[in-house]
Amino acid sequence: MKTTASARLGKPSKGNKQNAPSPVLKVLLHTVLWGIALLQIFPLVWLINYSFLKSGEFFGKSILKWPEKLEWTNYVNAFTYGSVPKFMLNSFFITMVTILVAAILSVMLSYAFVRMQWKLRKATMALILLGMIVPIHATLLPNFILFDWLHLIDNPLSLILPYIAFSLPISMLIISGFMETIPRSIEESAVMDGCSVFGIIFRIILPITKPAIATVCIMNFISWWNEFIMANTFLTSETFKTLPFSIMKFTGQYSSNYGAQFAVMTLIALPTVITYLLFTEQMSRGITAGAVKG
Amino acid sequence: MHKLLSNRITVFWLVAPGLFLFLFMVCFPIAMSGYYGTTNWKGIGSYEFVGLTNYTNILFHDAVFWRSLWHALLLLAATLLIQHPIALFFSILVMHSGRFEKLFRAIFFIPAVISIVVTSKMWVSVFHPNYGMLNKILDGIGLSAWKQDWLGDPQLAIWSIIVVVMWQGFGYALLLYYAGLQGIPKDLYEAAELDGAGRISLYTKVVIPLLTPMVRVAVVIAVTACLKQMETVFLMTNGGPVNTTQFVGNYLYKTAFSSSLYGYGNAISVVFVIICLIITVVMNKAFKKDVGEF
Repeated sequence: MKTTASARLGKPSKGNKQNAPSPVLKVLLHTVLWGIALLQIFPLVWLINYSFLKSGEFFGKSILKWPEKLEWTNYVNAFTYGSVPKFMLNSFFITMVTILVAAILSVMLSYAFVRMQWKLRKATMALILLGMIVPIHATLLPNFILFDWLHLIDNPLSLILPYIAFSLPISMLIISGFMETIPRSIEESAVMDGCSVFGIIFRIILPITKPAIATVCIMNFISWWNEFIMANTFLTSETFKTLPFSIMKFTGQYSSNYGAQFAVMTLIALPTVITYLLFTEQMSRGITAGAVKG
Repeated sequence: MHKLLSNRITVFWLVAPGLFLFLFMVCFPIAMSGYYGTTNWKGIGSYEFVGLTNYTNILFHDAVFWRSLWHALLLLAATLLIQHPIALFFSILVMHSGRFEKLFRAIFFIPAVISIVVTSKMWVSVFHPNYGMLNKILDGIGLSAWKQDWLGDPQLAIWSIIVVVMWQGFGYALLLYYAGLQGIPKDLYEAAELDGAGRISLYTKVVIPLLTPMVRVAVVIAVTACLKQMETVFLMTNGGPVNTTQFVGNYLYKTAFSSSLYGYGNAISVVFVIICLIITVVMNKAFKKDVGEF
């Protein structure tokens, strides 16, 4: 269809060129793309490479180094002296509780905002959406005093509560956007059968909104797994510290074990990178949806 | 159905948990900041009310505060003038990269999902004056004269930070533009082709103008992200040397916890939130002008 049209117009090459670029251009395109891709990924490669080196091997001339033998001791050190398993468990616990509660609360809020009819609906929704503008750093100082009053300093709740609160605006935005596309007829028939609103939400809406909930959970997982400032401010003892703190174990005042530091950094980076690679599509959809609506 | 959906008690139980948590963890702390911002509290002991002195000092006498905002502006300028055009260009390239499309998208985004603790540590080692990779590369290609103390030089440090932030956010900007490109119907390309538009004019005259809505979204996100910048600076330079890389979030943290000016730090928090709110509202108003549908 298209070729005949362009042939008729006497420009046969134009249409073809668009679909099949010349080989030179194609090679150039791929070189440039691979170049930047390498720049983006290089630090990760470097990180993993150095996590297998002996501390003494660090200060040579070359940038990447083939290790004489894989220095697994770095990882052993990370697991023993760096308390990686303990800190990782803390990180997992805090992040999981956060994303679960945030998902449930966002679904409830979204349902109230999308389907229910009440007076302050719009105002309440606007108020929560304002939360996307508030920088988390502005709440660090007052929350420190607040948690001090409530004896929550050095308690996982001092992270879980603000994490959930700051997850709500964006999560609610994405889930309610999805909910608007669900036809009302399903719920109407459920009401006929005598289902309550909570029954509708948990038996009908929850299964349908699964894709949106998954997106929200993955996004929240990545942002809270990586959160550092609040963890650094509100946690003081070893008991509840999260994963990033295990690096600090190897940056002593007198000696630094670089090999183990790199091993720890690799261990911190891997969970989010793997999660992202497994759920690339959901992440991308969530980010663009959240961005466009916000 | 209607009766069920306007039941006030149901609405209350749906909204209350989320809203209460949000008010308690986001709004209440800001109000607390407003209160402590009017005192000269040092973090311990008794304090006096000083009225609006803290606020007027921030706005009229605090050079570091304005400098922090200036740095956010520099970062924003670099993001919009360097990162975004490159991201836009690469999103177009990625679209044409055939079977590697997904792979490239994933690779470009990976830095954005890695913990800032890891990336900052990594970049600190890259910039290290003696052992850092950057100076090693300069040595390797015979440009030893260009070697610098990248993070220790008051003139250079802010630019080193800007490079790191741009590197980490690159995939995010690319993802937004890529999503924008996906939203442009394929037949528009074909129509432009039929009209005899060359490849370059196809993009400059047809595609990029159609991307305007997405560009606006990306700009709004960039502005808030630049204002809220803190972690990278906190972990790489902590605002130094002598506040040449200071950002508002880091400044208020330092003021309260290192300089023990808790009241003053809270006042900065409040001003910070207000600035974020004003800028976002102004931008949304300015960008509200409707764009053509396609």
